[in-house]
Amino acid sequence: MEKIKANATKVDFQKIFPFLGLAAVLIFFGIFSGGRLFTAQNMKAILNDGLYIIVGASGYAFLFAMGILDFSIGANMAVSCAVACLAAKVNPWLALPAALLTGMLISGILGLVHVKAHVDAFITTLAGQFILNGLVLIVLDNSVQQAPLEMLKWFTLPLKLMILIGCLGAGYMMLEHGVYGKTGKLIGSCPEAARQTGINVGRYKLTAFVIMGALVGLLGFVSLIRTGTASSKTGSTLMMNVLNAALLGGLPMSGGPTTKFRGVIVGSLTMAFLTSGMTIMGYNVNTQQIVKGLIFLIAISISFDRKNMKVIK
Amino acid sequence: MEQEKLLLKVEDMYKSFGITKALKGVSLSLRRGQILGLIGENGSGKSTLTSIVAAIQKADAGKIYLEGELCEFQNSVEANEKGVCMILQEKGTFDALTVAKNIFVGKESMFCKGGVLNNRAMNEAAQKALNAVGADYIKAAAPLASLNFEDRKLVEVARAMYLNPKILIIDETTTALSRNGRDILYQIMKRMKGEGRSVIFISHDIDELMEVCDTLTILRDGVYIDTLEKEQFDAALVRRLMVGREVSEDYYRSDTQSCKNEEVVLRMEHVTAKELKDVSFELHRGEILGFGGLADCGMHILGSVAYGNMEPDLGKVTAGDGTPIRSPKEAMNRRIAYISKNRDQESLMVASSIRDNICSASYAKLAKGPFIWEKAQNEFVDKWAGVLEVKMQGPGQYVMELSGGNKQKVALAKWLGFGADIFILDCPTRGIDIGVKSNIYALMQELRSQNKSIILISEELPEVIGMSDRTIILKDGRISGEFVREQNLTETMLIDYMV
Repeated sequence: MEKIKANATKVDFQKIFPFLGLAAVLIFFGIFSGGRLFTAQNMKAILNDGLYIIVGASGYAFLFAMGILDFSIGANMAVSCAVACLAAKVNPWLALPAALLTGMLISGILGLVHVKAHVDAFITTLAGQFILNGLVLIVLDNSVQQAPLEMLKWFTLPLKLMILIGCLGAGYMMLEHGVYGKTGKLIGSCPEAARQTGINVGRYKLTAFVIMGALVGLLGFVSLIRTGTASSKTGSTLMMNVLNAALLGGLPMSGGPTTKFRGVIVGSLTMAFLTSGMTIMGYNVNTQQIVKGLIFLIAISISFDRKNMKVIK
Repeated sequence: MEQEKLLLKVEDMYKSFGITKALKGVSLSLRRGQILGLIGENGSGKSTLTSIVAAIQKADAGKIYLEGELCEFQNSVEANEKGVCMILQEKGTFDALTVAKNIFVGKESMFCKGGVLNNRAMNEAAQKALNAVGADYIKAAAPLASLNFEDRKLVEVARAMYLNPKILIIDETTTALSRNGRDILYQIMKRMKGEGRSVIFISHDIDELMEVCDTLTILRDGVYIDTLEKEQFDAALVRRLMVGREVSEDYYRSDTQSCKNEEVVLRMEHVTAKELKDVSFELHRGEILGFGGLADCGMHILGSVAYGNMEPDLGKVTAGDGTPIRSPKEAMNRRIAYISKNRDQESLMVASSIRDNICSASYAKLAKGPFIWEKAQNEFVDKWAGVLEVKMQGPGQYVMELSGGNKQKVALAKWLGFGADIFILDCPTRGIDIGVKSNIYALMQELRSQNKSIILISEELPEVIGMSDRTIILKDGRISGEFVREQNLTETMLIDYMV
């Protein structure tokens, strides 16, 4: 019971913690960049960075709700981008379907292994990451591939906003009001009880993987039309950014009913401002990686995890 | 003189958990060689009081005197050393270790020589400890995971007894034990009494308490109510003191009519699964079919298989119209509901809200397209939580914060709202206080009168006899007897078929 009390205050902390994090990042970089963080130029950069994180985190929220961690999304994005690039060389219009299908196929296979072979999702996707890191080099023939230049024109503000609003709207409705999201949270809350309530746990998990795959494929396509190239480095920061966004947003690692979509939004914004802020301050990618790794550790250590909670009659 | 006999004295104990006041100035005294029963409804503070005595929790205020000396144990290890041991209500053992390692957990150094653990010496000592409590059939070298729930409890008993405690606290352990296990425990209590040592025994079973205890102390809502000596014992009086009002003596069914409907709604044919061996039966419409037996007779597996939750090795389960039941989903399609004996792990999502739990089986019904709106859910919860009188702060309250009885009501509300026609209830009143118990019995009768069918699986024979139209007794996984409801069916008649 004492623990319940302790956790009750922890729950409240969990509610305000994401907003504190966002405020801290805004104030810190706002001051140290001398206000440069909020210039129109930088807001555009933040939108570009934020787009990846928000789209990724919107899909990740459903996996998170069921208590699944996916470590393969960055590598999956690289492969999807590479396949899309090859397809674009045949015909630019093939790029999007190729990216989507590749992403869904890869995530779908990993999901199947997890569900049917009962391999832990963490292990499955970690192995997937290694395999895909090799696969992308083969698809790219060990070099950087160039997409047709005309495709760079596709990367417009209306498209970005459309993707952003579409993901946020659909994600919010599905997670907070949808049968799918609510069922997913039940699964995260207690898989066995969900199963005994007639829920096909495996099918729900697999669907979450496929949705994640589609979004990762979409990001592969976005990356292609933004940079015009596909390389093995594509998407290398995605996994850490999205995982951090989810944790900074206060989403519990063990899933369940406290998975909230507002956490996805706040966490994604925090990570987007953090990334852009560090870039403005002149930190290179390597330094940024160290900082993000540290944030990951800190976020995990203070995040709310039901598995630590003893249920007492 | 009086002072000398007094072993333990608890004075003015206070304890709060947040806004909940679990103990409000409770005092208690325990003489040498006394078996003290502690009884009260869920949430009355029995477990809190005893776990403070055993230093598992800390009190907000209050004093404990052991043999006249004020003591302030820092932790349960210190309490153990001073001779206070507690056997917990929940599982307190480690599955991955052997029986011997469980008994000597934290005391491995006793068997160490130069940093090497002498397993043989440890096993021998453990076997001695097991033999001493009369559980000689449990092998010390066996992995704990190979034992059933009952034997694990006995391992805990052996662990506690090895410390040779002055005071042994037993918290509702017997609900998990069969006759054999209980007898072992009663023997230990008697021996301790004879040696001038004392026992505090917590149980929900009034008859059991009256049989084994010298004195009964009754708690209600964290307040000390009364203490009765052996000659004052009276079940009706105890019940009244516990609940604070008159409770009718017979909360089971009063009629002796058995179900006459021949329409079969569920059929199990030659099922073999785990302990269960070649079991067949038919469940009729409007019938309460009771299953009784020892804890490991296979009846819990029977419930799980009947719901399609566990696939049988041989045989099959079909609904009345012959459709097979191979998964919970298929069972639910035939309007079958199941509440497991392990309610908190299998039938409820305790980390979710009451709203999520009650609605969880009825999403298809509540959804508008791909969405479910809060309003529809809240109306649904209001209705079914209202029917069952769930005591809650609101539909958003987490189920884990509820008492056992209220949790069970939530589980029942979920299936009532779903509109089940067949209820498979495995130990529906386990660890639940009298008030809720009688609610559940009344609900079962109500469902029966609505022509719904119930499979009642229970380790408490009086409950099975009291409620069922037909009683089937299982022994070692096989059906050993079947009895139709009649006036003079008694517990003693059935026990012969169980053991």
